[in-house]
Amino acid sequence: MSEVKLTENESLKLITEMIGKAKGSYHSNGTSAILWGLVIFFCSIFEFFEMQFNFDIGFNIWWLMFVALVPQFYLMLKSSSKKNFESYEEKTMSFVWWAFAASVVMMMFFNSYYRPSHSESLFLMLFGMPTFITGGMFRFKPMIIGGITCWILFVVSIYTSLKINLLLMALAALSAWLVPGIILHKKCIREAQQ
Amino acid sequence: MEFKELDPILHSQLRLAVVSLLISVREAEFTFLKEKTNATAGNLSVQINKLKDAGYLDVTKQFNNNYPQTICKITKKGIEAFEGYVKALQTYMNPNGQS
Repeated sequence: MSEVKLTENESLKLITEMIGKAKGSYHSNGTSAILWGLVIFFCSIFEFFEMQFNFDIGFNIWWLMFVALVPQFYLMLKSSSKKNFESYEEKTMSFVWWAFAASVVMMMFFNSYYRPSHSESLFLMLFGMPTFITGGMFRFKPMIIGGITCWILFVVSIYTSLKINLLLMALAALSAWLVPGIILHKKCIREAQQ
Repeated sequence: MEFKELDPILHSQLRLAVVSLLISVREAEFTFLKEKTNATAGNLSVQINKLKDAGYLDVTKQFNNNYPQTICKITKKGIEAFEGYVKALQTYMNPNGQS
């Protein structure tokens, strides 16, 4: 591209082309979604087995979520060192997900203090929100479906027992993060190969 | 029928491309702009400086892992100039003001 004057039509075409290029630059490789999908799926299934087979490992398996923050920070550092731009959507999304993470931590503390019944239903409702927003923002259908699935599971969980709700949580983790994350990851690999 | 004058700072291929890219992102590194515009580093650097001197861009130079990094961000003045440029373009594309 050189230092040349443009006609009005060329200007308009150039603006459209550059805006399109900038908009199409942001891609998530889905690793964070896979990580959190796996962690929540594992914790839910593990707690289900604890209840089903009557054993106790001596600590709350959900504290694994704090351990998962280590690889999450590593992934964030790795992607930020590679990235050479930041989009408005990305910045907005990072605020949405940090707000979600803060809400989950506060809910965990609240639950460990008051031990309310059916608190896992509220988690399901919470899971749906950032997932649905992310899916809508990036027009990524699997996450929109994942978010809606979480809300449907929330309604179901009101009428089911804690044990079943743990299975619903695992299903929510699969549909909201694990499956969309794998789809994103595959898409990313395909694009890198082209 | 009135044709608005097109901002001479923006009415150049590379400078318009840079501003159009930066209007769509929060901030971008020099390498991103170079990659998207296919411009040479020297030419891009000159045009970015012109936009900076006009007050349309904020340019920050820093080091990241011992590598120099130039981060560009459009300013409020730059956004207003871009909006004005697009409005002026519309008077050429649609001189009778019909939609």
